[in-house]
Amino acid sequence: MAILVIAEHDNASLKAATLNTISAAAKLGGEVHVLVAGANCGGAAEQAAKLAGVAKVRVADAAHYESQTAENVAALVVANAAGYTHILAPSTANGKNVAPRVAALLDVAQISDIVAVESADTFVRPIYAGNAMATVKSSDAVKVMTVRTTAFEAAGQGGSAAVEAVAAAADLGLTSVKGRELTKSARPELGAAKIIVSGGRGLGNSENYHKLLEPLADALGAALGASRAAVDAGYVPNDYQVGQTGKIVAPQLYIAVGISGAIQHLAGMKDSKVIVAINKDPEAPIFQVADYGLVGDLFEVVPELAKAVG
Amino acid sequence: MSQYTAPIRDMQFVMRELAGLDEVAKLPGCEEVSADLVDAILEEANKFASGVLAPLNRIGDQEGAKWDNGDVRTAPGWKEAYKQFAEAGWTALACEPEFGGQGLPKLVATAVMEMWKASNMAFSLCPMLTSGAIEAITLRGTDEQKAAYLPKMVSGEWTGTMNLTEPQAGSDLAAVRTRAEPQPDGTYKIFGQKIFITYGEHDMTDNIVHLVLARLPDAPEGVKGISLFVVPKFLLNADGTPGARNDVHCVSIEHKLGIHASPTCVLAFGDHGGAIGTLVGEENRGLEYMFIMMNEARFAVGMEGVALADRAYQHALAYAKDRVQGTEMGVRGGPKVSIIHHPDVRRMLMSMKSQTEAMRALAYVVAAANDAAHRDPDAAVRAENQAFVDLMIPVVKGWSTENSIDIASTGVQVHGGMGFIEETGAAQHLRDSRITTIYEGTTAIQANDLIGRKTAREGGVTIKALIAEIRGVLPQLAEHGSDDAFVAIRKSLESGIVALEAAVEYVLATYGKDIKAASVGSVPFLKLLGIVAGGWLMARAALVSSQRIAEGSTDEFYKTKIVTSRFYADHVLPQAQALSYTVVNGAAGALALDEAQF
Amino acid sequence: MKILVPVKRVVDYNVKVRVKADGTGVDIANVKMSMNPFDEIAVEEAVRLKEAGVATEVVAVSCGVAACQETIRAAMAIGADRGILVESDADLQPLAVAKLLKALCDKEQPTVVICGKQAIDDDSNQTGQMLAALMGWPQATFASKVALSDGVANVTREIDGGLETLEMKLPAVITTDLRLNEPRYATLPNIMKAKKKPLETVKPADLGVDVAPRLTTLKVAEPPKRSAGVRVADVAQLVDKLKNEAKVI
Repeated sequence: MAILVIAEHDNASLKAATLNTISAAAKLGGEVHVLVAGANCGGAAEQAAKLAGVAKVRVADAAHYESQTAENVAALVVANAAGYTHILAPSTANGKNVAPRVAALLDVAQISDIVAVESADTFVRPIYAGNAMATVKSSDAVKVMTVRTTAFEAAGQGGSAAVEAVAAAADLGLTSVKGRELTKSARPELGAAKIIVSGGRGLGNSENYHKLLEPLADALGAALGASRAAVDAGYVPNDYQVGQTGKIVAPQLYIAVGISGAIQHLAGMKDSKVIVAINKDPEAPIFQVADYGLVGDLFEVVPELAKAVG
Repeated sequence: MSQYTAPIRDMQFVMRELAGLDEVAKLPGCEEVSADLVDAILEEANKFASGVLAPLNRIGDQEGAKWDNGDVRTAPGWKEAYKQFAEAGWTALACEPEFGGQGLPKLVATAVMEMWKASNMAFSLCPMLTSGAIEAITLRGTDEQKAAYLPKMVSGEWTGTMNLTEPQAGSDLAAVRTRAEPQPDGTYKIFGQKIFITYGEHDMTDNIVHLVLARLPDAPEGVKGISLFVVPKFLLNADGTPGARNDVHCVSIEHKLGIHASPTCVLAFGDHGGAIGTLVGEENRGLEYMFIMMNEARFAVGMEGVALADRAYQHALAYAKDRVQGTEMGVRGGPKVSIIHHPDVRRMLMSMKSQTEAMRALAYVVAAANDAAHRDPDAAVRAENQAFVDLMIPVVKGWSTENSIDIASTGVQVHGGMGFIEETGAAQHLRDSRITTIYEGTTAIQANDLIGRKTAREGGVTIKALIAEIRGVLPQLAEHGSDDAFVAIRKSLESGIVALEAAVEYVLATYGKDIKAASVGSVPFLKLLGIVAGGWLMARAALVSSQRIAEGSTDEFYKTKIVTSRFYADHVLPQAQALSYTVVNGAAGALALDEAQF
Repeated sequence: MKILVPVKRVVDYNVKVRVKADGTGVDIANVKMSMNPFDEIAVEEAVRLKEAGVATEVVAVSCGVAACQETIRAAMAIGADRGILVESDADLQPLAVAKLLKALCDKEQPTVVICGKQAIDDDSNQTGQMLAALMGWPQATFASKVALSDGVANVTREIDGGLETLEMKLPAVITTDLRLNEPRYATLPNIMKAKKKPLETVKPADLGVDVAPRLTTLKVAEPPKRSAGVRVADVAQLVDKLKNEAKVI
């Protein structure tokens, strides 16, 4: 049995999400093949070949895969699906775009966002926005799945898979990508950020807030937030406020700096995946919800942290 | 901040199973009403209340309305929310189809009104006052007035106000001094100052239609000499659009304990030559017309009591489920638990919940009776329902609002120290509720109306009929045999009925010969009637629930209802005996002292 | 131009679902149900296209139990012209729903199908893409802007790290993301009119579709609880934990 992983890449290089997906595939037991569909995508294919656990890299290099539209990629996957028991893509915008299309063309179910592999046909996935975890078993011959990348380790380096070309399928000509605007430079929006650095009254004043937190946020690619106390004290505008009366956030990482942890603030961020609290008061309530607490002087600790992660 | 979600399940239950929505739907003019339609209306109204109005409640409290040299700026978001509210057609819900209304029954309008009031009481006052003004013009206005004003008011394009109070004329409207001078063209020039005018000035619409009580030059003294006038903020052009500014100006707004976002205006009429108005109905009958609307307004304020009680309960409940303090009683070294595990917090929450549900049930039942009183084809049925409505409006008003203050206060208590902090939001409900026992007639005015006009003057006919109906559920409760909950409910309700009967007999025997003595007990009497009527409806709710369970329903709602009814019987209904005792025996102590002895 | 909008009845987004004690699912008995919020955005977009004169008819479709009628009525209160309920008590999985929708598309011949990108109950994010595949139509998922003209759709899509503008031939499937629009509040007159709009009911068998589930749910459990926090001694240890234990940086 063999497993096909649809690579996430930008032709030049492989995206990290592919690495996690390969790890998920490895848990299924079987030869893992990676499909790289793109245009001038040799760079991505080469990187895939070097990943541990990859047995073969299959490359479809054609102009009409340049922007990897769902229609053309799905048709390609289906044309090459014979012999695969599982077809995996990461749960990225791309993966979620393509995988259901593949599944429907194969007349099989698609299993979204798996976070654990119980066996070759049984998987765990979150439902109801993660408020429940469902264990589902597939009765289909081919399992088409998307993989929640945060749930699996990234595959390591050290492989040397064969790279083989596969014939491009016909260009369906249904869609064309007219342009992409990728926002890299600006700080992310509070509600959508994966990492949030948030400051409270412990920072003392507006100047300190910006001087201490901005370098840290930039080093982490994080959004900036604040407690109500900091907003009330005028350190930052209203739309920075995290809390019951401000924004409710649930990033992967929430770093609370100089925030004591009033109930209304906790209500706005307690669903964050990982919470770090930095405060000089060891009794601050924020430590009760923090995964990692660091008691110390903000003015030393925060710049040090910015440097360490920068 | 607390979220607001309308208690749709309880609303549906009360409408369908206690207030007789199906019966209301059969009334002439209600043909379109069905349970499905009502569900859809409740769903969408809830979306609006929770999505648009509730989020503005706190900012309205903090920012309030601002007076600026005659103009009034409403709180941030108010103008946009009002525009959305009017565009969504909510202002037209219960209005006459002839003028663009949907003509829906009061029962439906009541449930929807509860949502506006619970989500944002200060906002809700604007459409509420407007509907009072619409009602006055609909009932007594000339055809010209109806054509000129009603379509715009029903659609919400213009709002309305009620101008009664003057500095020297509060509860005693006989003291109104505002003058109206007839003009050769048939209009009147109005001169005088009105105070406490809710939404008397604001920036949300391009005209405001004031209904003003004033005296004609030759009018008799007292209440029989007051006429009612329409005085628009902007006079109307020939094409009906707002034209010249009328001589009515907001000279200040009040700084209040609550409802900060509702501008309470001092309006000056005629400071610059006279405000031009037109007469509504006949001369000198203004107060009579106002009283027609007053019933509606009193009922609506009663709904404010229900609504704020519910909001305070939702707020306290969310906190009690979330706030972790201490371990469970009797569990040594156990894990920390949320405070809803603590017996006294439960008692407080159940007290809030059970009373709120009883108040809602009574108000909706009265609303349904109001529909029958207006729409039933049989005159006898109309009269019977009207008598019940007249009897119960002071109770809905007085009892629900008095309770709402206690309930909002209990809500603060559930929060502990956090409740005393404004940021938590629980305190706002308490402050907002505080006006409800005062405006549209204080509790004492309701209570005097109840024991006088509504009880003693008709020899207690209507209240005795009600008591007989309440007694009617006792045998049904008894059919549940030894079921603990039903035994408790039956015993407590029966004691309550006996207490109420004693108080009624006292009032009937005393009112004619010693009105002061009877009046000392009027507010306790009003509360007593509210508590027993609430107990009656909670008992009926338990009976219906038990029947639904017997029919196989697994809806937890019904089990919850029986427990809630039982709590009410054990914790609230027993107050009936104490209140009855005070009604019957309380006069001597209250009246004995000389003024100098105080 | 006809637009078909599939709408799903789901547990209201305000309700915090509880996992059943026996682990067979989440408890949805007597829980408040509403239209899937992404589908509401889809209805809103379709109605706006109609109001703009681009579309001529908006048809709301729901697949599921009889109570899905309420969801269709809610779509009609926003402005859909008529409704079709595919009534079934079965556990309808995305592939089955896509097949039902395909059968309806064959019959109704819409120019565009606009659906929510995912339902907030099973969070699958599949039905629109599957329908497009079955119809052989192009798809534009996660739309944040839609412009239709002359047999062509220009759709701005939310992709990882930014936006993409896609041009596709109609007919096509579009799935909505949160920022596409802000659904209106239904007006009272429209709520009342919705009750009188036509609503047709069909069964999966009438459409010749086998809706048998392909996935079996073996167990539903609570998500893992937050583990008790630890104090770290210094920045170095914190960075180490974040990188190697929590793997968030």
